[in-house]
Parts: sequence; C-alpha cells; structure tokens
Amino acid sequence: MVRPVAWEESIAPSSQTPTSHSSTTIIHHAATMSSSDTDGTGKAGVIVAPDDASPMDKLSHAVLDDLLYNIVHDLLIKVHRDEKMARANTAAIKVEKLAMNATDGATADPNPDVVVDTDAAVYKDGQVTLKGNPLKTTKEILCPRCHLPRLLYPTDGKGARKPDPGVIYCKKHPYIQKPGYDIYGQTWVAPGPGRGKKKKDQKFDPNDPSSPAPDTGSAKDRPPNVLSFPSATCSKCKRCILVTRLNNHMGSCIGNSGRTASRAAAQKISNGSNGGSQNNDNTPPGSQKGTPLPGSRAASPRKRDADEFDEDAEDSDLPGNPKKKTKLKTGSGANTLTKKVILKAKVPPSMAATLGKKDKPKASSMLNVEQKVDDDDNKDSTVQVAPKKPTPVPKSASPSKKIKLGPPKPPLPSPGSLKKTKRERDLESESSGTLSSPPPR
Amino acid sequence: MAARLATPASPKNHKVKAPQPGQPMYGCEHLQRLFNQDQATTNTSIQHYKAILHTIFAKSPLIAQTAKTVDGQPVTELTPTYLCLQCPSTLTEDDRTKHGTKKSHRFYVDSRCGTLYCQMCDDIVYDPTFEELRLKKLGTGSFASRKRKIEELFEATDPVRENPTFLSANTMAASCKAGGLRGIYNAGATCYQNVVLQSFLHNPILRNFYLSDGHSSSNCDVSHCLSCAMDDMFQDFYAAEATNGYTAANILSGFWISDKKAFENLVTTKEQDAHEFFQFLAEELHERNGDGKRPESGTDHTCTCIIHQTYYGKLLSTTTCQNCSAVTNQKQSFLDLSLPLENLSQKKGKNRPARPNGTLTLQECLDEEYIKSDKCEYRCTNCNSMQQARRQTSILKLPNVLSIQLKRFEYKQGRNERAVKIDTPVQFPLELNMLPYTNTARTRDVSAEYELARSCTYDLLCVVVHVGEIDTGHYVSYCRVGDQWFVFNDHKVEVAQISDVLNSRPYLLFYVVRSLS
Ligand SMILES: [Zn+2]
Ligand SMILES: [Zn+2]
Ligand SMILES: [Zn+2]
Ligand SMILES: [Zn+2]
Ligand SMILES: [Zn+2]
Ligand SMILES: [Zn+2]
Ligand SMILES: [Zn+2]
Repeated sequence: MVRPVAWEESIAPSSQTPTSHSSTTIIHHAATMSSSDTDGTGKAGVIVAPDDASPMDKLSHAVLDDLLYNIVHDLLIKVHRDEKMARANTAAIKVEKLAMNATDGATADPNPDVVVDTDAAVYKDGQVTLKGNPLKTTKEILCPRCHLPRLLYPTDGKGARKPDPGVIYCKKHPYIQKPGYDIYGQTWVAPGPGRGKKKKDQKFDPNDPSSPAPDTGSAKDRPPNVLSFPSATCSKCKRCILVTRLNNHMGSCIGNSGRTASRAAAQKISNGSNGGSQNNDNTPPGSQKGTPLPGSRAASPRKRDADEFDEDAEDSDLPGNPKKKTKLKTGSGANTLTKKVILKAKVPPSMAATLGKKDKPKASSMLNVEQKVDDDDNKDSTVQVAPKKPTPVPKSASPSKKIKLGPPKPPLPSPGSLKKTKRERDLESESSGTLSSPPPR
Repeated sequence: MAARLATPASPKNHKVKAPQPGQPMYGCEHLQRLFNQDQATTNTSIQHYKAILHTIFAKSPLIAQTAKTVDGQPVTELTPTYLCLQCPSTLTEDDRTKHGTKKSHRFYVDSRCGTLYCQMCDDIVYDPTFEELRLKKLGTGSFASRKRKIEELFEATDPVRENPTFLSANTMAASCKAGGLRGIYNAGATCYQNVVLQSFLHNPILRNFYLSDGHSSSNCDVSHCLSCAMDDMFQDFYAAEATNGYTAANILSGFWISDKKAFENLVTTKEQDAHEFFQFLAEELHERNGDGKRPESGTDHTCTCIIHQTYYGKLLSTTTCQNCSAVTNQKQSFLDLSLPLENLSQKKGKNRPARPNGTLTLQECLDEEYIKSDKCEYRCTNCNSMQQARRQTSILKLPNVLSIQLKRFEYKQGRNERAVKIDTPVQFPLELNMLPYTNTARTRDVSAEYELARSCTYDLLCVVVHVGEIDTGHYVSYCRVGDQWFVFNDHKVEVAQISDVLNSRPYLLFYVVRSLS
C-alpha cells in the first residue's frame, strides 16, 4: 500500500494500473475473487452456476451476477436517498418548528439563541444538526412545503391503506393505481347514452376514451370522483360546446368560412408582412375582434377601425374577453404585493411563494392599464387591452352544474390563488350537461 | 494532469454549504465533526471529494473500479469499490472495514454513484455540501461552468445552461397538489395535439420559461397568441389544484385561426400527424417569442427564443467530391431528427440476422443517418460539373431537448399514392449518449473522453406512441416526472411502469440533456 500522499498525484499512478492488468483481470476476478465464499458466482449470489459447470460457465454466471448486483445497488441507492433525505428534512422541519415556538413573538425566523433538542435533531446557533440516523429516529415524512405530514399510501387501488381521519395530510397524495381510474382516483361517465359501454377497460381504445366509467345518470347521483365531459365556449360564436365536439365546431365556425375569408382580408391589409413577433398584422382580423378568447388580447380600437370586415360585424357587440378581465382585476387586487416570485431572481425554492405570475414587476403597470381601460372610451387608446368593461360571468357558463373537486377555500396569498380564481371560472363553465348525444370521434 | 484541472490549487478556502431552512446542515453527526475540526480539514475533505468524483465520472471506469487488497494486490471489480475520503486508497467492500479500523478513516465514496458512506453510521449519508458537488458533477460534468470543449458542442448563447438555478428554483408548484399532472380532453380527434401538449408541459425548460413569466399572457398584445394559450395552460397545470381534464380551447382556436404552412397540412391530410403538430407549435411559438426570422433560416441564425434554446441544434453536412476531393460544408438548424425506418429494416434483413419482427434499435437508426455516409450527385464548383460525391452528416450543436421522429408514416409511390404505417419495433434507451453522432466525434478520437460523453448524455423524457391503423389510430404519450412515468391518454392519466414505456412503439421521442434533469 505504498501510494503517494498527495491526492492529485495519486491519480496519475493509479491511472496506469488498469493498463497493466486490463480486462483479463476483471475476468479473472469475477470468477474467483468477487465472492469470498461461493465459487462460481458474483456479489449478488443469485445467479449461481452448477458445481460441475465449466470455468467459462462459472465466469459468465459470475459476471451476470455482478451486473445484477449493480442494478439492484443503483435502485436501492435511489430509494434510500429519497427516503433518508425526506426523513432528515422532516427532523429539521420539526426542530425548527419547536425553535420557532420557543421564540416568542412574531419574527419570521427563530431566534438563533434558542437551543432545542429532539430525538432526531438539535437546533443550536441557528443551525440544525442531526442526531443519529434519520431513518431510525424519524418515522413520518413532512412536506417541505406545507409542513403537513405526507400520506404514505394511496387511498384506493393497489397498496391502499385507510388514512388516519384525525390527521390533516399534505395535499400531495400517492398516486392511485386502480384499473378504470386515473392517478387521482377519478373516472368519467361514458360520453353519452346509446353507445356507452361497448368495450370496457381498454387502455388504448381510441373509440372509448372514458374506459369503464359507470353510467350513473345525472350529476347529482354521481359520486364525486365520477366526472363528466365539460363544455367549453367557442371563442368565436360564444356558444357552449361539449368539449368532445369542440374541434369539429371550431373547424366549421372558425375554420372554413371564417378562416379563408379573414385570411384573404388579412393579406390585403398587411400585404404578407410575416415578420414581427409582436405584430398582429398577420393575424386574421376577423379573429381579432370576433373571438376574444380567454388569455389573448382583443384588438385595439385603432386596429378595429382599420379592419372592417363583414364577418366581424355580428360579433362586435358581444362582451369581450371575460377571462382577460378577471386576470386584470385580480392582478390589481390587494394580494399582488405579497406574492411576487421571480424565478429568474433566484428565489430559494424553499420559499412558499413560487411561480410568480401575472403579477410581480408588472403589477403596477397592470393597475394603470386597468384604469385606463375603465376610463377611456375605447376610441383612441394606445393600450392594447380588452376594450370592454369586465363581464362578471362568461356568457356560456351554466353555474348550476359545477364540478368541484375540492372546497374552493381561499388559499394562501400565493400566485396559486390568483390562478385559482381563474380556474374556478373555468370550472363554472365546465358544465356537465349536454350529454344528449355521443361525441364525434 | 487532468486531475489537477479539477482541483486547482486555489488559495481560497472551501466552504460548507450555508444552512437551509428545513434541511439539516450536515449529512450526519460524524461529518459535522469533520467539518468543524478546522479549515484545513474542511479544505482537504472537499478537495478530495472533488478529486474522487472526477476520477469516478470523468475517467476510465477501470481506475475507480480497481481496488488494492490489504496485501497490495490490484483487484478490478465489476461491483462498487470504495474510495477513501481521507487517503488515496481504493478498497473493496470487504476491505473497507479493515482499512477503517487500521487507519481510523471513516468516510468512503461509492465508485458507482459517488455517494458517501459513513462507517460510524454504517450507512450512506447525504450531506448538503457533498451532494451539491456530486449532483453538479453528475450533471454538467464539471464543477465550474462548462468547459470550453463541452461548450463547443452546445449552442454558445444559452442562458439555460449559464444559470443552473434556472431549473432547480422552479420545481416547487404553487400548491402541493398542483403537480402538472392532468389529462387533456379530446376535443374530437385531437389526441395528436394532446400528446404534443403533454410533451411540452413536462419539458423542464419550457415549464420554467412559462412559470417564470417568460411569455406572460397578461402582457402580450397578439390576438389569439398561441404562446399566451400555452402560458395559460402551464398556469392551469402547475398553479391550480384541479385534477380533472383540461380543455385546451385556446390552443385549439389559436390553431384553427393560424395561417401556418404546417397547419394546412394538418387540416388537409386526414391522418393528423402529431409530428406536424409539434412542428407547427414550435414554429408558432418561435414566432411569438423569437427574433422574427424563419426558425431555420441562415446558417448562423442564433435566435435565443425559448423554442430555439430548447429544441434547436445544428447539423453539419460534409460533401466530398469523388472526382477532385473538394469538400463542401453546409450547416443547418434542426428542430428534430427524422429517422427513416423502412430502408433500414429492409437492409438489415439482408445483411445481418434480424431480431424478431425486424426490430431496430434507435442507435442503429442514428448510426445510419449521422455516422455513415451516403453517395449522392452534386454540382461540384471545383470541377464545375455534376459529380459523384460522398455526403456525411453529423451533429454540430446538440440541443437541450432532443426530439426524434421515427418515420412511421411513409407515402407509398405508385398505384394509389397513400400513406402507410411502418410498424417496425424500435428499441430505445432510457439513457442516450449522443457523442458518437457529433461532428466532434467524427473529427477526433473521443473514446477516452468520459467527461465529454457524460455531457452528451440524454435522459428519456417523453414518448409519443401511435396505436392502431393509420387513419383510425390513436395517440397516447408517456412522460416522466422525476423518476416516475405516467401514461397520458387524452384526459386520463395513469401511472406507467418503465417496462410499459420501453415496450411501446415510439413515434416521437424526447430526450433531455442530463445536465438539466
Ligand atoms: Zn405539502
Ligand atoms: Zn363557434
Ligand atoms: Zn483511508
Ligand atoms: Zn456518520
Ligand atoms: Zn402572447
Ligand atoms: Zn427562435
Ligand atoms: Zn469536384
């Protein structure tokens, strides 16, 4: 064992060793030395050659066995790492919480002078250090985000266990594996009567996207995990269309007549200026005005004046862009200030506020925009936002039949809440009705 | 000497990672003691750990796999060996205890994955300081920003790579429940769109772009902007708690309103093609976020839009005149690699013993396109006439997300020109090394450049599968979230086993470069 002391140098000599005993050593080794006790097998000791096997047989058994060992080793490390780190972090979260409680007062951080000691960790000098092996000291896993215990087994299907009803768990649950149900334990009612239960449980059957959903009649009788196909609003004609028919509808509503006509017209105007990414000249004008689809801009009034086309006229009185409005409204709400997360600014992932969106630096400017929209008469505004007043409910919504998967209680002031309002709106328009005829495939 | 590069004799002291809330400061009590001895011990420990990682991940595996027994005999193992953190010894598992007893050395690095074993815990420990180094090494292949050599292989202007926190800072959703796992309703034969949308939704670069307000729909003035529709979709997937299917109405209307070339194809050809939709969407998003030029225009087109950063690479075609040996180089951007299957499966049938059903491997398909050369006719400017030439194409710049199309739909010439589906099974790996197909590998011997190979390693991210006949078929996709695979069948999301994924017959494959995953 005479090796150079300095680490850097040690690598150079050792890099020569392999050439000296190259691959033959491996072979030699695998067959003879890898397992000190058993001959003819490798480290896993699972693939064993018979006693009377030829040396070559024993060698190949040994190599295969070693490879098997490596596969298991790698898998094990992965699982071990996930589990051990989750438990170590749980130990840290718990002791930090105790330190926090010991720090009386409203400060966000625990007082660094506090010393707290649990079976699994110590909080001292503002640092958390482990005591013993977290795999032994810590049994549960707390969510690093909401600090609630994680549910460790799915609630249904393969490997399901009953959760403790007295415990509030983190909302992230193990995924459910149950035939006919998705990872959240949801299933869908057959798309329509008359053809519902033809083939059951065929994963890839294109003719039966909803698989074996029990046809349980009206929405009221259904258990909460049985969903039906929603409807959506056509961005052009504003009609409420069952989602399975949306493509066909849009094809005829926007696609044929609208599309070609408006495109021809657009060409006349913009004369094939195909370039700028911020340039809406190459967008069919018919769509600009007539189809205020959620999330996009309606055309600016100026544009509108310029683009006078027949197919637009019928739509021009419709309320514009309800979803957009919601966004602007929420954006200007009080909670904008509290939730700004700009990922580019390297906010630590541990912060509860994440996914900043629709707010942050733009928040103030959005306020301005909204005021402007409310004030001006849409005639010569230079701000290209939806020109109409906010509409409270999308025209097409059928609010009586909501599908709600959870109580829409107001969440933390996080960007999620912002999005949530938007989401709820979406849900409202997802009517469970109109199941009268099967969807076209 | 290479080792010296990894451990520069910098006078700067090594620091233990600062304490993070919700995380212990050290991997175990024993490492805590090690790090709290004195600065010199901390320095050597971290330096040694880096050197060991370099040996494991950037050198011939024979080095780390060769241990010395107590009597000084070198032994090369197939199974993990243990590299002592406190001295330059490499030990077999059996000798590890003896070495520890004799020398009081307590920490050993596993030669397969670089994790640290603590003898006093008798367990593997995950120390924040060491783990950070290990993950960095596993990813980029170096501790500093990428080395020049590797940089040459990727687009130079690449904010994604420059900023390693870009990806990691983003993985937390707004709610514990919002994990981006939702199905998308089939709006009437739109499964070809749904599979592509899912591949976008689970693409880490695109996800982080949209979730960090890369294209904010509240700030965009383009009517029916598809990028805004994407933005809304990302928000609904990652910031809302909904678990039911998603109605991609905005995408759909944006699609119907668009006047893209690809769109024409999609509408006119009855058999809707997920690949064409992918191209359509990529082009459209480039237009909304990019520099306004055609996405593949020019040889030195360096658009830095999110789509270019994500998917685009560059090919180099070298044409050599058989008459005068003049060489013409041509660069071209690519959004995806299109691999023909038909010719190859026929060719294989003749030459080699084919696997059952004429199974091909992805690597064989790549070999055919990016290693082998083919004959062609071309107009040689040197000879000033048409000449026979050899043409060879290799990859000049690798993309961050590699998209591969296996050409399963071919137009049969003749009788009634119609498309046929080629159902040849293609085996594809979870982990793909793209180094052999690069121009770098073509021009020099890279067989010993482990670090380079590591930086060209991709992990499978998403598989789009077409099942059934050509015009009555259906698309499903598999996407990976962390280590877990899911199958997306329109609105339905289910857990998938790796074997399900690998046994599928891919049409589109998406691989993400390891340094980003
Ligand atoms: Zn949680
Ligand atoms: Zn319509
Ligand atoms: Zn030692
Ligand atoms: Zn220890
Ligand atoms: Zn936009
Ligand atoms: Zn671009
Ligand atoms: Zn020539």
